[in-house]
Amino acid sequence: MALESTMNLFVKKTGGEIASQLEACTRCGMCAEACPYYLATGKPEYTPIWKVEPLRKAYEQRFTIVGKIKLALGVEKPLTDADLKEWSKADFEACSVCGKCSAVCPMGIEISSLIATARAGITAAGFAPAGLVEKAETQQRTGSPNGAGEKEFADWYAALEAETGIKAPVDVKGADMLVVFTSLEIGSKKKNLYDLARILNAAGIKWTVSLKARDAFNMGSIIGNPKLQKELAGKILSTAKELGVKQLLVTECGHGFTTLRDAVPNVFGEELPFFVTHIAELLPNLIREGKIKVKEGYFANGHTYTFHDSCKIQRQGGIFDEPRYALKLLAGDTFKEMLPNREEALCCGGGGGMRSIPEANENRMAAFKLKLEQVERVGADVVVSTCDNCQLQLKDGFKHYNRPIEVKGLIEMVADSLVR
Amino acid sequence: MNWQEILEFSRGPMFYGALLFFLAGMAYRLFAVISLGWSKDLAKPRGSKGAGVVKSFLRGGIIFPFFPREKSAYANNPIVYIAGGLFHLSLFVVVVLGTAHMLVWKSLVGIGWPTLPLPIVDWMAAVGIIAMVALIVNRAVHPVMKLLTGPAEVMSWLFVFLPMLTGYMMTHHMFFPYEVLYSLHMISINVMLVWIPLSRISHFMFYFFSRTQHGVEWGKRNAMP
Amino acid sequence: MPEETIYQSMKRKGVSRRDFLKLSGLFAMALGFEKLPPIEESGLPTTLDVKPKVVEPIVKAMESKPRLPVIWLEFQDCTGCSEALTRSNSPTLSSLVLNTLTIEHHEALSAAAGFQVEEAKQQAMKKYAGQYILVVEGSIPLANEGQYCVIGGRTALDILKEAAAGAAAIIATGSCASFGGLPKAKPNPTDAKGVWELITDKPVINIPGCPAIPEVTTGIIAHYALFGSLPELDGLHRPKAFYGVTVHDRCLRRPFYEAGKFALSFDDEGAKKGYCLYKLGCKGPTTYNSCATIKWDAGLSFPIQSGHPCLGCSEPNFWDGGGFYQGQSAPLERPEVTAVGAAVAVGAALGAGVAVANRNQKKAAEAPKGGSK
Repeated sequence: MALESTMNLFVKKTGGEIASQLEACTRCGMCAEACPYYLATGKPEYTPIWKVEPLRKAYEQRFTIVGKIKLALGVEKPLTDADLKEWSKADFEACSVCGKCSAVCPMGIEISSLIATARAGITAAGFAPAGLVEKAETQQRTGSPNGAGEKEFADWYAALEAETGIKAPVDVKGADMLVVFTSLEIGSKKKNLYDLARILNAAGIKWTVSLKARDAFNMGSIIGNPKLQKELAGKILSTAKELGVKQLLVTECGHGFTTLRDAVPNVFGEELPFFVTHIAELLPNLIREGKIKVKEGYFANGHTYTFHDSCKIQRQGGIFDEPRYALKLLAGDTFKEMLPNREEALCCGGGGGMRSIPEANENRMAAFKLKLEQVERVGADVVVSTCDNCQLQLKDGFKHYNRPIEVKGLIEMVADSLVR
Repeated sequence: MNWQEILEFSRGPMFYGALLFFLAGMAYRLFAVISLGWSKDLAKPRGSKGAGVVKSFLRGGIIFPFFPREKSAYANNPIVYIAGGLFHLSLFVVVVLGTAHMLVWKSLVGIGWPTLPLPIVDWMAAVGIIAMVALIVNRAVHPVMKLLTGPAEVMSWLFVFLPMLTGYMMTHHMFFPYEVLYSLHMISINVMLVWIPLSRISHFMFYFFSRTQHGVEWGKRNAMP
Repeated sequence: MPEETIYQSMKRKGVSRRDFLKLSGLFAMALGFEKLPPIEESGLPTTLDVKPKVVEPIVKAMESKPRLPVIWLEFQDCTGCSEALTRSNSPTLSSLVLNTLTIEHHEALSAAAGFQVEEAKQQAMKKYAGQYILVVEGSIPLANEGQYCVIGGRTALDILKEAAAGAAAIIATGSCASFGGLPKAKPNPTDAKGVWELITDKPVINIPGCPAIPEVTTGIIAHYALFGSLPELDGLHRPKAFYGVTVHDRCLRRPFYEAGKFALSFDDEGAKKGYCLYKLGCKGPTTYNSCATIKWDAGLSFPIQSGHPCLGCSEPNFWDGGGFYQGQSAPLERPEVTAVGAAVAVGAALGAGVAVANRNQKKAAEAPKGGSK
């Protein structure tokens, strides 16, 4: 039964995209060398393309003659529940869907999106890790994976006035920009709202927040539940349409940003009537266009800064140059690049829901060690990131390994150096 | 049946049959995948899809095998990109720029082209054979490769290796009379032709699909360097 | 009275001692004896610098051995091999062998005809039973009880079997007698066979070629005459001394092949400069023969030297081995456009069948969850 729904999902999802990429794989094993979890643990079953095995088996056995012959001859065994259960470990507990494997694959296969499909199949069979399932259920019930509901957000928006004297525009029709935060920020970085409000006001943007579309976090994307993904993203889409905004700004959420920008149009089968952007893109552009002014070299104060490329915002979002522009302006020569960087950057180790799976903690920290080595190689004592999840992972990691390295978000840096 | 007859059979009807099987098989593979269809991407592009495709092929075809941009990603498995790249270069030089093979193409498609001097082709063939040996050893030794290697991969390796080996022996008249090696060369090629549509050697066709998709996807997001 | 030795016979015909020694050297050369200057580089040289110890056994043998009776039969042939023998000019060893070794019976060269010549053959076979060398030229047809080649009311097979019975050894000269040659070309209407396919109880030497190189044929006869044994043979019963390497291996245009310099047509710059003829369909690389070393017309030239690619005439079934001007490596048959189209169509049809099944599968998968997309 469980298997049937998995098969159903695989069959539904398999189109030319998935089929041609599965056919193109030569099993060269190069992707393993890109995977932080394989590199950190040396476990061959963490090879990215191996994580796709359930999907490949399903494809070959359901869609191709050779696969059916193999099945009939007994050369290959049919997919079983036990397989899915086993693969749940590799696909969820040792994968952040960071997509570095896609960048190194000699055949150009989008391995990470194939893994995402495999994860969806495992979830459909009910074998997703309990931690993730619980978060998904919480978000379905309350709207946010950490249980923050309308009240919590309303309180936060209200607190803006007390903190900065700015009255939060909530659900303002006719605003130009809808700003969607994440529940991670309400949990640990409430300051982002206060900082961002000052920046947006300084830039003269007509912005609004919403109580309906309040969380960009999308557990449906993380766990691979298409129905939940559609439901959660739908709330934001309909609100943005209702308010008639021209831009949708995602603050520090990575997967929420790519889900809204790249997945939602195809899920709903319509082109979006607004432009989806991210603070990593917006803030540097505001500086460049002169809409806000920052004090150049404000952070050139003896620290060494480096920039962590997040998988969803940078590698998959393509926003490489903008944050670097801002950082070079703010930190000057004290900004140093880690190697490898940009689309080849190493994952922080905590994406893709890894932080919600207690069983994955060991892998998460092992993978972080690689990142730590990179950071220390450039001698940075401040790591800047535009992703909230990455920042939390970096903080966890530095604490775990007892390193006095600071983690900063781009919003706070721009806000701190803002010239009125 | 003497070797001359075996040679005639393997150059004649057997090759003919294998070639038609290959064409039919590849047509099947192509058609079965294409007919699944691609869905239209409605997301707003942030960059040029076309430029992404061009970059994708440049990266995949030229930079990848020989100039790894990022050493650390391959430090643990350098044989795959070095030997793999050399193998494909050797394949191209021998099969396309070798005079004997060019004449095969000419007899099949009707056009010929200039070819390289024999010693160059010969050395490249030797390089290819060494690369293939390195690749199979790597598959037997490297933990990831062990996991990914099944009987099909070993057979694919063997069916590609045998034509290379017999071809090399043939040009050097090693161990056996020419017609014996020529027959073995042709037979191994025929087996390979039949095996290609049944296996992952067909990646030479799907490469263009996956690379294009990669380019479109990354170009759209402006994530290509 | 003891029989006349070869030397005596030659002396009687006015061959000087000096010429006789020269000839002995030639034999040593043609037979590919070891420790000789490489024949492959020089063909048949006009001057010889042969160490006496190599020539010595030949001289001795010629001085002591009686002449060797030879019976020459022709079946499905063009007499080209015989013509080649007679055209190989004096004073080459061919003419000398022809003159000095006893050709007891040869239809084309015989002055007699009809019953007389048959009579003479029968007498010779009786007289030299168990001693004579049988040379066969032309293939033997088996279809329709062998009636495609009948001489004096008897089939070729019949004549061959009769003559082979008393032969010490059989030499099949030319591609027809060796491997069936032109008569055996597809569709082989006469079911032509080479000698070695029919006679298995006597030693058979194949000297393929169209025609066979006369010096090789006579060389083998001489070898038997001198040493009473056959030279070393390969798997196709060819003497290794003459068929050990390919024409390509010893070709004077080989350096151009290695350098990748090819004539692309018979009248282009490359052809004028003597570039390799490989791209014009030269079969040299697959052809085992000594054309490039012994050459023709007393070492004057051979086809490739004269500007024509090797046809591979000494290889079995060379008529069916692809077009003469088609690359040596090319497959024998080029699939017709229709055949290719049919194959692709079959594959596409199979793909379409699978595609329909797959689409239904996808529809079925989407249906139960409700909501059409």
